Amino acid sequence: MPLRCIQVVDSDPTVALVTQRGLQMLLNGAVEVAVSASPEDAWLRCAQGSVDLLIIDPNPHNGAAKTLLTLLQSYRPSIPVIALTAYDSPRLQTQMRTLGVQYYLAKPVELQELERIVRAALGLEPLRDGESGFRPDHDRMALIGLKTATNS
Amino acid sequence: MLEKDATSDLQIRIAELEAKIIAAHSREHALKSRIDELESQIAPHQPPSPASADARLNALLSICAASLLTHEVEAIVSLVVHESRDLFACSSGILLFLAESDPQRLILRASSNALVPELIIDPGQGIVGRAFLAPRAMLMIGPTLEAAIKELQPAQIQTLQDVLDAWPPSSAIVAPLRVNTQRLGALALYSGNSPQRYHPRDLPFIQALADLTAIAIDEVRQRERAAALQHALAQTRSLHAEAQARLNAAQAQLLQSAKLAAVGELAASVAHEINNPLYAARNSLYLVEQELPPEAPQRTFLSIAQNELGRIARIITRMHDFYRPTRAELEPINMNDLLDETVELVQTHMRHSHVVVDTELTPDLPLLIAHADQLRQVFLNLMLNACDAMPSGGTLYINTTYIPGKNDHPPSIAIRVSDTGVGIADEHQAHLFEPFYTTKPQGTGLGLAISAHIVTQHAGHISVESAVGEGTTFTVTLPVNSDG
Repeated sequence: MPLRCIQVVDSDPTVALVTQRGLQMLLNGAVEVAVSASPEDAWLRCAQGSVDLLIIDPNPHNGAAKTLLTLLQSYRPSIPVIALTAYDSPRLQTQMRTLGVQYYLAKPVELQELERIVRAALGLEPLRDGESGFRPDHDRMALIGLKTATNS
Repeated sequence: MLEKDATSDLQIRIAELEAKIIAAHSREHALKSRIDELESQIAPHQPPSPASADARLNALLSICAASLLTHEVEAIVSLVVHESRDLFACSSGILLFLAESDPQRLILRASSNALVPELIIDPGQGIVGRAFLAPRAMLMIGPTLEAAIKELQPAQIQTLQDVLDAWPPSSAIVAPLRVNTQRLGALALYSGNSPQRYHPRDLPFIQALADLTAIAIDEVRQRERAAALQHALAQTRSLHAEAQARLNAAQAQLLQSAKLAAVGELAASVAHEINNPLYAARNSLYLVEQELPPEAPQRTFLSIAQNELGRIARIITRMHDFYRPTRAELEPINMNDLLDETVELVQTHMRHSHVVVDTELTPDLPLLIAHADQLRQVFLNLMLNACDAMPSGGTLYINTTYIPGKNDHPPSIAIRVSDTGVGIADEHQAHLFEPFYTTKPQGTGLGLAISAHIVTQHAGHISVESAVGEGTTFTVTLPVNSDG
């Protein structure tokens, strides 16, 4: 199986490093994870066709991420996108859906959970029946038993 | 012989004297007849006798007394026709009509023979209709009286014949019932067929009687109106107290929510900022754990660190949730209904502040999935702010518009809350939605901050446009497909 390329975009270099190393380890060398500090760099790689999955922290206070997602939606719609955000909010979820983002995770998500979503996004392993790719913070808390299903 | 002559002379003398007595009786009778005739001729030109004047004064006094005692119009009008009947024995009947408005017409309310059949006369029609429009009392005789009678319809004449002792009248004396410029009705006295008629000298008394009647009726009506107004005032006060209590409760809730929201805002802000380092720390430990052999002694403390970081994550999530409605609190809401309810809440407050509320709500808006209480809080806050911005009164405009989806934007509903108040200076506009920023001496600076946060939590947007001296418009846009 060819090496799959994952592009991580996060303005926090520590977070980006943990995501990069964690995915490389958990996916056991089946992926190559590149890190960009800015959406502009990431777009260049995406435009060159060398990205199979984009993981982006869509900082709501910065419009660059939105621009990148708009470009992807228009010119590279086949590249799946995971939004990995520290600023989870209903508004951001709606915005991400509107921009064609298929997967949404709220930090501090565990790496194993991120790995499952990455596998699904790359087509390596499907999600469980009825499971959504959108995992806002309160859904995640429901998953780990801190909320009842109706309350989530 | 001498005795016989003397007797004869005496008899003749007696006969002459008897003849003279008869003649004197005859003259006396003729003179009495002449005196009666002359008296009857001068009677109309004489002032009323002291007895008649007393009776008239008594009639006026009794009506005065009745007006003080009675609270019923029916009692007053009955008394008036009764007293008039006693004072004008020559009358074939006395009728009193009161006016009704919309349409204006005169309705028989009392008659001297106690019968009060339905009889309706138009203003200006017939004897009573003319009296109603007349400025003062008037005597109707001859051609004027005949012309007035001709204006009546057969059914009306038939009813008059039923309530009067004689028809047609030989004269009528009538007076309008008026208080200032307000016409209340008319009083009409009809003479019978006899040659005895009313006289112009009766006019001042009839007018006085009519004026007194009008004042008495007006007094009763004023009393009734005052009682009704008192009742309405009591009801309004009760409603006002109720509305004020609701508004106070809502404002207290608003303040409490604002305080909680301020804490929540801080918590959410901290939570967001912590999420990144927490993600990095927690998962770094996980990666370290993967590198360690199963029996490594460091695993114990590594596990403790991971668990504690997990605990921090849960605390952070709770802090975040403190400021966010749970899904269970979301429900389909009709934005127009929610705005109507909120306007009702502030209606009394607006009225007292001389603020007119003008709503223009687009019908058939799609439902929003939202937290009704929180959105109500947003619009209550905007409406109260608008009211505060109009210290001398003004107009509060509220309208809703449906905005179809376009490109990246889902369909949404825009709610505009505008005032004609003092406006907001440019330097303040940029800070309006910041917590603790206020231009009011007693403001907390939390109302708009929390409103903006609630709107944002509903995936919506809030903006402001304002010009000093012209007014301010807040626009809240909420996506229709928001799932919160």
